[in-house]
Amino acid sequence: MIKRLVFGSLCFLSLPLFGQVDTSLYQSLQIQEVTIREDAAGLSIDSKSASLDLNISRTELKKAACCNLSESFETNPSIDVAFTDAVTGTKQIQLFGLAGKYAQIQVEMTPLVRGLLANSGLQFIPGTWVQSIQLTKGIGAVNNGPESMTGQINVELLKPEDLVDAAEAPGSEGRGDLLLNGYANQGGRFEINEAYGARINSKWMLASLGHFSGRQRGTDVNGDGFLDNPLGYQVNGMLRARYFGQNGWEGLYTFHALEDVKQGGQMANAFAPGIGADQLWKSNIKQGRLAITAKTGWVNPDLPDQSIGTIVQVYSHELGVEMGLPKRTAPSSLYSQFRGIQNGGMAQLLFRHGWGALTQTSGIVLQHDAYQVGLDRLELGNGRPWVENNVGLSTEWTYSAGERFTAVLGMRMDAHSIAGYQFSPRFHMRWEPRASHTFRVVAGRGFRMAQPLLEEYGRLASQRFIRWEQYGQVLGGDLLSMESATNMGLSYSHPFKLNYMAGGIQADLHRTQFQRAVIHDFYTPGERSIYPVNIRDWPGSIPLQSVSAGVSVNYNLNKRSELRMAYRYQVLQASYYSDDLNGNGLMTLPVPFVAPHRFMAHYSRSFKGGVVMDVTLQRYGKQAIPGIDPSIRPAIDYAPAFHLLSAQIRQEFKGGDLYIGMENALNITQSNPIDGAVSPQTSQPLLPSDPYFQSHFDATRIWGPIFGRMLYLGTNIAL
Amino acid sequence: MKNLLSLLFILCVSASAMAQKKVEVQFQTDGVCGMCEKRIETALLNLDGVWTADWNVETHETMVVYNPKKIEELELHQAIAAVGHDTPLVKAKDEDYAKVHGCCKYREEAVRKAH
Repeated sequence: MIKRLVFGSLCFLSLPLFGQVDTSLYQSLQIQEVTIREDAAGLSIDSKSASLDLNISRTELKKAACCNLSESFETNPSIDVAFTDAVTGTKQIQLFGLAGKYAQIQVEMTPLVRGLLANSGLQFIPGTWVQSIQLTKGIGAVNNGPESMTGQINVELLKPEDLVDAAEAPGSEGRGDLLLNGYANQGGRFEINEAYGARINSKWMLASLGHFSGRQRGTDVNGDGFLDNPLGYQVNGMLRARYFGQNGWEGLYTFHALEDVKQGGQMANAFAPGIGADQLWKSNIKQGRLAITAKTGWVNPDLPDQSIGTIVQVYSHELGVEMGLPKRTAPSSLYSQFRGIQNGGMAQLLFRHGWGALTQTSGIVLQHDAYQVGLDRLELGNGRPWVENNVGLSTEWTYSAGERFTAVLGMRMDAHSIAGYQFSPRFHMRWEPRASHTFRVVAGRGFRMAQPLLEEYGRLASQRFIRWEQYGQVLGGDLLSMESATNMGLSYSHPFKLNYMAGGIQADLHRTQFQRAVIHDFYTPGERSIYPVNIRDWPGSIPLQSVSAGVSVNYNLNKRSELRMAYRYQVLQASYYSDDLNGNGLMTLPVPFVAPHRFMAHYSRSFKGGVVMDVTLQRYGKQAIPGIDPSIRPAIDYAPAFHLLSAQIRQEFKGGDLYIGMENALNITQSNPIDGAVSPQTSQPLLPSDPYFQSHFDATRIWGPIFGRMLYLGTNIAL
Repeated sequence: MKNLLSLLFILCVSASAMAQKKVEVQFQTDGVCGMCEKRIETALLNLDGVWTADWNVETHETMVVYNPKKIEELELHQAIAAVGHDTPLVKAKDEDYAKVHGCCKYREEAVRKAH
């Protein structure tokens, strides 16, 4: 089979150089038969990897209602999706209940969801561009960077060969090199996506990925005067060139550009005629990115266990945030703005050499980030520039004793211009004492640099007074902004066959314990305190900790239907200053906006004639949220448990599909997502000039959906 | 509580599925590659009464589990032959064989050798 050979060699060429982890590089050759099956499971565990790696395929992504990476984990029991605020529409993911910033999120091994894009970068990866996602639960591999604490998410986008091979494959009749997608929903959002690949000659292939989305029509379902979702648009494009040369050389060169504009806040037509736009509370967020990435690799044709890879990337990110009244009319407490530019780049060299059972991969990486941030908010002073440089040396040794045992020891030393020397040891082990009963152990350390204000910009949509006296630089860029954690985990996975049908059980237990963390404290009404907690200053305390235990079962009930169920229990605690209560001390309190009990069930069924149905039910248990009653200290309140039900029906036809679905079918909404937006007496929307608005406005206490039941419609076409 | 209920639900569903009468048969089927595998298995799985089907690319053996109340064994062979593959009971018609892709022409010596 020609296709199989080509695909096999690609797998082999690309994995050793750029593949994640990959502790199973050697084995990947043997399991390639599985990886190319087109009907391979949507969600599968890499059975040979020493770390707990879940692969999420394109098939699985089709089950998600919409649209970009932040929304693509809806059918995945490992990851939660939460809003950051009720104004900007930004969704954030959580792994083990900890924010996505504590996982290392990469696109083809290069950073994207980081720095200025830490809050919103996931929205810049359209789901239809994604070829597959690798999710590692528990700390990731040292060669990929120091920032992984809870886990690692790597997204592989469509590469030129994916599109060209699809069109050249026997039986495809030339379809598959041009993919189109269109989507529209009841909330006024539309999307157009494109992917096109072409072969230039025997060595070069090109591809373009395009995305345009927007929302022109605003809705205010709950009548609080605020848009449920911001209006705006996103233009996002990528040009990619692929080179496969002789003698083991290959390259992938990518240019990426995007612009995203989101305008939210109060709608003029919710108020009496004559109220001008300059009297309304508005949010205005502009983001942009330009990046060039060059990856070049070489595999020794005589010694396939030996390879060298380089990644060079330069980028420029821009983030502008304006919230409140227009500056010229605003009393300063009703206005906040910052404007940031991040120019940076990285260069990495990776070298791999194998001696049969023993393999090592070592790397050196240089990173540079120059930030220029302008800031305008009453209590925060001015912005400033700063620079972060890092040199990282890493080495990872993999030992495989047959099929049943793999151990990986990784060590990493970073010389960081602010954090100093940081040593990150990591260990992964996989042991299969009996066939198809696999145990995995993970332990390791990671660190990152926080940008407390910027990476949580949605939380500026609030009249909470920001306190940061104990802090050096609230923008980041000093030692107090460093966060570090150790992660330990144990997992068990067992694929089985029952009644001729495949199924699997997975169970995992993870603890992530921070030595240093930047705490955002919302437990004093009307205030938001940001401060670092360091275990050295507070011996015996736990700055931030997550303990998570999960179990999931999947089983094919028959040849046409699959059932997946998962339950997870997670306890998140952090240390908060409690001066108000009992003098100087730290108090251990639950982290808000994390539901300790999470349950998910997913049922999928295909019918004759190419109809596929998916139903997903999620339960979020009771969760802690900041309270607003000043007489209760600490001000902790609890949001009720709720369910989200979504369903989708897809009709597949030759060269494409058509899908229709419903999100939040039970029509669950949070009744007052924005505090202070409406008058407590009349329930009419308030203007920012109203004293009640000024003392109570807060869009950050969001725990549930704002928009209720929503229908959507979409189509995929392969030409 | 909810989880328990769901678990019970699964058990009931699988118990009722197992209660159905099933017969497993194995027979040789000519073919060469993964594309053939997909074609053979899809043809069988599309039949009502077939619980599962698997064609082994190395041994060229087809394993089918089916409900004899709903379908007869000969119909399995006919379904495979209809997509161009020979079984011990039914030989594919030339016009059906002609439809299989060039790389799957298992009756040709050269193609068999290439795999």
